[in-house]
Amino acid sequence: MNSTATDAAEVADATDVTDASDPTDATAEKDAPAAPDAPGEPGEPDVSDGVDVSRRRWPRVLGALLAVALIATGGALYAEGRQLRDTPATANLALTDAEATTRVTGDVSSALGKIFSYGPGATAATRAAAKEILAGKALQQYAALFGQVERQSADQKLTLTTEVVRAGVTRLTGSSAHLLVFLDQVYERRGRAPTTASAQLTVVAELREGRWWIVEIGST
Amino acid sequence: MTPRTRRRAGWAVLLVAALVCGLGAWSYGQARGDRSLSYAKARDTALADGRRHLATLNSLDGENAKRVDDGLRAWLDSSTGPLHDQLERTRKADAKSLTTAGDTARGKVTSAALTALDERTGTAELIATVDVAVTPRTGAPGTQRKRFGATLARTADGWKVKALTAIGTGGGR
Repeated sequence: MNSTATDAAEVADATDVTDASDPTDATAEKDAPAAPDAPGEPGEPDVSDGVDVSRRRWPRVLGALLAVALIATGGALYAEGRQLRDTPATANLALTDAEATTRVTGDVSSALGKIFSYGPGATAATRAAAKEILAGKALQQYAALFGQVERQSADQKLTLTTEVVRAGVTRLTGSSAHLLVFLDQVYERRGRAPTTASAQLTVVAELREGRWWIVEIGST
Repeated sequence: MTPRTRRRAGWAVLLVAALVCGLGAWSYGQARGDRSLSYAKARDTALADGRRHLATLNSLDGENAKRVDDGLRAWLDSSTGPLHDQLERTRKADAKSLTTAGDTARGKVTSAALTALDERTGTAELIATVDVAVTPRTGAPGTQRKRFGATLARTADGWKVKALTAIGTGGGR
């Protein structure tokens, strides 16, 4: 419309009509820019309404997309974090809880030293110590074994000294621990040179009433 | 619903979404930055790698020169630092003597535990009992029970054995 109006004006200019036609030309020129407006005016609310609707819809669509994206990202991050955290590694406190690891290692080491050391005539003390250290299956095993040991010790004047060389915690939770322990055992018979033997044990200990009790002893 | 309440609802939804995202990010960040978590994972990785390498270092197929060579290469792959250097130095002599002997050994780690782990420096101390099944070229096969203390070091290719000591009787420490 605008172009036709200017065309018309140009045509008017080109024809170089007389001054008399000027007023009409002027009006034509005045009208020309008005022309698109005139039919536009009644239509204006329509057009601007369309703009308004799309203007109102866009933020809504964007907002919805943003919300979905945010929720999806949050969910994905949460799941990722969960996966990082939910591994068997976290359930095992060995070394991660340095204090508890040191304590159970120390307690079990000194306990093993006590229960596997005896001299002739001093087996009663060892037996008594064992009752303060061992529980459950370990106590039964030990009792069965120790009867034999007591006789042997008395007969052969045997002295056994056990020392823990190395100990490591393989698994530790709040109330139980699995350990691998390397022992050196020195046997001394009266009148003979002492012999040393090495032993390695797997030990299961349980925390009861604030103390670590050995509940299972196995050989590796 | 008036446009106004609709707009408010929209903002509320967006706010909740932002909160969900923030919480997720926070939870992830917590897990990511959890020192004890990464420490626990390093411990388990070091133990698993250490077990594997210790078995390798106690195994050798002495059937022929080629297998001995493969075995020695596996030893080098399982080791790093001083142990690696030492194995490399003695490789030729080892290959010769092992081929001549022709014994085959198969190591199996029966139990292992880490006694120390320093994640920062990437070192760990491991103790393990290993059953080594030896099949000599002549004579009856047998099994030796050995116990080891190993120092592990973290490399780009996982944890490897830096030093290996057999913990014999008496001289364990």
